[in-house]
Amino acid sequence: MRLPAAVNSLLLRSSGVLIFLILWETAPRLAWVDPYFVPPLSIVVREIWLLLETGDLSRHLLVSSWRAVTGLSLALVVALPLGIILGRWLTGLASALEPLLRLLSQINPFAMLPLFLLFFGIGETAKVAVVTWVTLWPILFYTIIATRTVDPLQIKSAAALGVSRSEMLCKVILPAAVPTIFIGIRIGASLTFFILIAAEMLGAGSGLGWLVHNSAMNYLIPRIYAGATFIVLLGFLLNRLLLYIEASLSIWQGSQSGSPVAGQSRASSWRPDRGSAVAGTAILVLVLILGALEVRRLNQEALAGASSSSSHAKHFGTPADSSDGGL
Amino acid sequence: MPTRAFVSPWSLSRWLDRSSLLLFFAAWELAPRAGGLLETFIAPPSVVLMTLWELLLSGELCDHVTISLGRAIAGFTGAALIALPLGFLLGGNFRTFERIVTPVLRFLGQVNPFSLFPLFIILFGISELSKEAMIFWVCIWPILFNTITGVKGIDPLLVKSARSMGTGVVPLFFKVILPAASPGIFTGLKMGAGTAFFMLIAAEMIGASCGLGWLVWNAQINFQIPKLFAATVVISVLGMILNMLLVTLERRLLGWLDSSPNH
Repeated sequence: MRLPAAVNSLLLRSSGVLIFLILWETAPRLAWVDPYFVPPLSIVVREIWLLLETGDLSRHLLVSSWRAVTGLSLALVVALPLGIILGRWLTGLASALEPLLRLLSQINPFAMLPLFLLFFGIGETAKVAVVTWVTLWPILFYTIIATRTVDPLQIKSAAALGVSRSEMLCKVILPAAVPTIFIGIRIGASLTFFILIAAEMLGAGSGLGWLVHNSAMNYLIPRIYAGATFIVLLGFLLNRLLLYIEASLSIWQGSQSGSPVAGQSRASSWRPDRGSAVAGTAILVLVLILGALEVRRLNQEALAGASSSSSHAKHFGTPADSSDGGL
Repeated sequence: MPTRAFVSPWSLSRWLDRSSLLLFFAAWELAPRAGGLLETFIAPPSVVLMTLWELLLSGELCDHVTISLGRAIAGFTGAALIALPLGFLLGGNFRTFERIVTPVLRFLGQVNPFSLFPLFIILFGISELSKEAMIFWVCIWPILFNTITGVKGIDPLLVKSARSMGTGVVPLFFKVILPAASPGIFTGLKMGAGTAFFMLIAAEMIGASCGLGWLVWNAQINFQIPKLFAATVVISVLGMILNMLLVTLERRLLGWLDSSPNH
């Protein structure tokens, strides 16, 4: 394509966003919509800035992403080995278990939410368990399918070359299964945010869901928009990060069908991509560690502040505290 | 005629297929009877069924189910009524405009409905409208995006040959564009209906005073464990029925797709 076309399309793509942002700013100012319910963009931005300055926003952001990432990694730790075993070795057991697994996965996770709250209390465990439950099923199903549908020719030729069992797993089955497994992970990640925000609204003292819910209870409308913006951002970033890791893990897929010459370019492009995969994983691990520290500090604060009313007042408005869900 | 051997519903292999389910229900029934912590937290299926029967007899269950389904249907219908024409217009007639608004629509589609729910409550109160607005918001994006993709993906050859044979605008739409775009549209409708039911439960938990989600939440607050399990079972069964209905409907409506390349 010509360069102007590329510029043109960029202009086209960004103009929509620009018009949207301008409309967001001007419509409330010109009183086309009630500025009380739809605050203009500048006020929302100022609210975000205020929240950032006090450190509130980064704290809630960190706590929410910690819950999401912890739940996701727990689900991965359980579902990946289980899926590989069920899909590859215990296929008989897999087909016997299938009706049960289908049944469990079709249970509406929101209906399970009260059960989780019942079992694990309104502590961190409940939130992480809910996220794990939700993400477990897509990852498990896609892993089973992925490992089951690896091209038999690849497995047979690898076996004919006399690879060991562990090598077969790491060098043949896993690389072939990665793209399909990642579909499951991405579905799980998008569900994570739905359920996490709902769980934080229903019973939590921190996190973005709580921030939005609390602002709504106190009629801090610009704050709702600020929280909502960051929930979108967080979901978008997690999705991007997963796409990034996926692209770098399955880099060979693109050059697989290419001519032998492609081997050279593959060798040169492999390294940086593996590096970026490591970087992406490092970000996730960093979120895990920092978030764990933050969550621990918050929980200790909540414990210490339980006696003093000043910190308890911040919990105003969560249904879990008012002990009556019907508003 | 079916060539497959007839399998009696009472044959052994049929039951072996479901052995995991049977085992699961047996464990569910027996575990609470063992006593201890499980007894207080888990209601066995027999108790759940009895509670369901009581709820059914008192008419309470029917009320909640009707209310929940009514909300889901209202939100879904509203979303379909707006998203389908809009999708046809954006995918068919206004391609440039579609390219301009797509990033904005994608962004809006990413907005988590739960973060908007407090706004809906503030705007519409805790009336039915706030729940319906939430379902509407959840449904509109998959329907819109899939309609746009479906309409854009129509083979231009089909449209051109129909035009060259002198088809008018209205027959062109109903006989060529609509059937050709129907797989995409149906995917959107299916996704929308699935998420509608999914989100409805959560919406009813957060801000409602009736409906299935409220039933679950209220049972948890009041520590009525059998009722909690009963409501969860009802929600899951309803979800599964909805799923099956959609799959059957898809097979009935789009069955011609599979057979068309063969003749």
